[in-house]
Amino acid sequence: VTDGALQELNAPAMALEGVRILDFTRLGFGAQATLICGCLGAEVIRVESTKRPDPIRVMPPYVPDPGSHGEGFGAATLANATSAQSANRGGIFYKYNTGGKKSITVDARHPKGLLLLKELVKLSDVVAESFAAGTFERWGLGYEVLRELRPDVVYVSMCGFGHDGPDASHVTMGPTAQALTGLTHMVGLPGRPPAGWTFSYLDHVGGYLGAVAIIAGLLHRRRTGQGQHVDVSQLEPATALSGALLLDAQLNGRLSRRADFPSGNRRAHPPAAPGGAYRSKGDDRWVVVSCRTQEHWNGLVDAMGEPPWATGERFATVESRIANADELDAHIQSWTEHLDRYEVMHLLQSRGVPAGAVQDAADRLERDPQLAARGHFFTLGNSEVKPLPLEGVPFHMSATPADAGGAIHRGPPCLGEDNASVLGEILGLSAQEVASLQEEGALS
Amino acid sequence: LSVGGATKASAAPSAESEPDPAAEAAACARRLGSTRGPLEGVRVVEWAGPAAEYCGRMLAGLGADVVKVEPPEGAESRSVGPFLGDEPDPERSLAFWADNVGKRSVVVADDSEALELCAVADVLVHTLRARECEERGLDFDRLAALNERLVVCALTPFGHSGPWADYEADDLVLMALGGSMAACGYAPGRDGTYDTPPLACHGEQAWRTASTYAAIAVMASLVWRDESGVGQFVDVSAHECSASMTEWHLMAYLCSGHVHTRGPQPTLQAADGRHVAALNPDFLGPHVFTGMLEMLEGEGVAGPLSDPAFGDPVHRAANYKEVWRAMKRLAEKHDGESLYRLGQKAGLPWGVIRSPEETLDDPHLRARGHFVELEHIEAGCTATYPGAPFVAHGSPWTMTRRPPLIGEHTDEVRVEWLGSTLEERT
Repeated sequence: VTDGALQELNAPAMALEGVRILDFTRLGFGAQATLICGCLGAEVIRVESTKRPDPIRVMPPYVPDPGSHGEGFGAATLANATSAQSANRGGIFYKYNTGGKKSITVDARHPKGLLLLKELVKLSDVVAESFAAGTFERWGLGYEVLRELRPDVVYVSMCGFGHDGPDASHVTMGPTAQALTGLTHMVGLPGRPPAGWTFSYLDHVGGYLGAVAIIAGLLHRRRTGQGQHVDVSQLEPATALSGALLLDAQLNGRLSRRADFPSGNRRAHPPAAPGGAYRSKGDDRWVVVSCRTQEHWNGLVDAMGEPPWATGERFATVESRIANADELDAHIQSWTEHLDRYEVMHLLQSRGVPAGAVQDAADRLERDPQLAARGHFFTLGNSEVKPLPLEGVPFHMSATPADAGGAIHRGPPCLGEDNASVLGEILGLSAQEVASLQEEGALS
Repeated sequence: LSVGGATKASAAPSAESEPDPAAEAAACARRLGSTRGPLEGVRVVEWAGPAAEYCGRMLAGLGADVVKVEPPEGAESRSVGPFLGDEPDPERSLAFWADNVGKRSVVVADDSEALELCAVADVLVHTLRARECEERGLDFDRLAALNERLVVCALTPFGHSGPWADYEADDLVLMALGGSMAACGYAPGRDGTYDTPPLACHGEQAWRTASTYAAIAVMASLVWRDESGVGQFVDVSAHECSASMTEWHLMAYLCSGHVHTRGPQPTLQAADGRHVAALNPDFLGPHVFTGMLEMLEGEGVAGPLSDPAFGDPVHRAANYKEVWRAMKRLAEKHDGESLYRLGQKAGLPWGVIRSPEETLDDPHLRARGHFVELEHIEAGCTATYPGAPFVAHGSPWTMTRRPPLIGEHTDEVRVEWLGSTLEERT
């Protein structure tokens, strides 16, 4: 469909344009869900509190003060980062709250504050929250109440163990859920304790499923006219991530708690040899090489300049390479350790061999031409912070491009920055009414 | 959502009446025995390699009619182990089973047979590079000319554009380039040098993340199609997906120049040797330490922590070794499962480290009806699959079909979607 044809269709510019989400999520897991919807064009109104700010607003690292550091980011010292602390500079907040989210600060415990929230519910398609089970009910905003206010509301709750079940009172952070669902166990070397993840992978995965829940709820509502409560936990999105391991244990009795599993970076299905991370030139620099086919191996041998050890019988077939994997790995590393990791990657890729540098965050931002060419980073600021590179959703849509700044093309919101505009434009309150609500403490 | 699929007059079962999406959806629901999943009546052609199968699995669970298009010898993933009873056989691949539960299978002899299905489908998910699409006439413009309502999603390692678009990758390469690998692994030795490599989690996590994003993009495209009447092209780069799942690492670098590296996790070893993720999120507020202290005192292992000085978070942070020692004294007294529950009772986000299969016994997941048992009559076994990724009270997850046999539904799908079997047509 050409641009001209799209204009003739008079269709919305973004996929979820016209959808309003009243967003009570906090931390990473819940906020990941609404950021995806915001990037796709939904209007996301974060309901926050100045008395109890989202912890990731006030946790380090902090986005530095303008002028407090040299050219570009990455030059700030810890000292000036601390001086930059405010509710509007939490770095983790910036990661999880792109998508053009707006922020209002309403005290739900103030009678007029609660009334404001109820008026907003009436005008919202989706209500999302990530409090512990029971919290929203205690505020007087449980699903029964929401449904009375807005019969077709899609209510998506996101909490560690979900709202029902014997352990519903349990709490999670990403690593908790990773431990309980097998994700931690699946990272490690044989014969050693699990290495696990140093970050909350399941804040992301749980958040993706929160977004699936929101969009599925909207699709269901369009067809049936019905809203619903979707109860998202941080555990259930993760159980299928182990793939065939669960079936191998059940049906073949091959438990994944065994001496040779997890097998580091070696993969059995499909097998690769060589397959793993190899040291390259530099301090703790690594490159992954993964040969699953004879063509991959031939390409690797060619890239290495056909050394005598590689051309003999010992490594001639996939089977013999797997059988002699330890020896093979030592040979590969003796080649890679003198080369730059990107040099190895491009030498191999130019011969059709899967290979990639082990990249950290700095590499992705500064040394990855693919992410740059794809427009992976959006440069966005807000009323307090100068533009900085932020991420949105990692896919391209031909007719309705996503935007990390959402429909309003703006970076993550400052706390309460949209009080006047949201209450004015959506609820029709005058500036004076907003000011007196502020004075009375309904807006906190 | 307009349901019932794009119905080209030329391919519709009955050309004399106008297609009625609502009636078609209802009929589709009856055929599939659906319990009104949110994607009920949505026709998905999955003409894809292993990388996108998790996307189709998710769409199927949400109620879509997902048809896996396979060559006569079976899809590539059927050759991937492990196999049932360790007998290599395309009908016994557990890798295939895990990600193809809930789908139907149609065998096609060539591209044109698959395109017939695309002409009457709502969604096509494929894994072809831009060059391959061009060569085979499967680029979006040509697919849109065939069926303007079709949402086309290409899931590839690096996307359809950019200097690395033709590069090769498997999950390990994607985990390396994306950044999660650099942040997973064991701590360095005392001299600060690493003697072990960065590690990637098993289970094809980069592909699964990309598949999940693909499902989100497809569903959002269906929402938009209701407004516009037309489909669009979704280009999912697994590399980009993998690069966006490392939490605060990019921000940490931007804010402070700090590059996040791999290292030790707060893990306690319990009396039975099991490990427990023992987080102590002091930053969430004073209630965290209050709960912890109460538990440690109740177990008689609080030691110096009972000193009121520890009520000060700055003092706690400066003397964190004492907090950790008390936690270790607690761990020595309990097995892993009860240590997990003890921590949770104190309000701490603790979790015992389980292997994937150990989740099958979790009483909470079982009570929520998470797992689904499906009978494999031909293979002579019953398998338990992870089911609903969330509990949708108004539009339940549906998973009633075991993974399909090769071409099991070829005639059935052709009759339902195209009005006749291939034989009848020729």
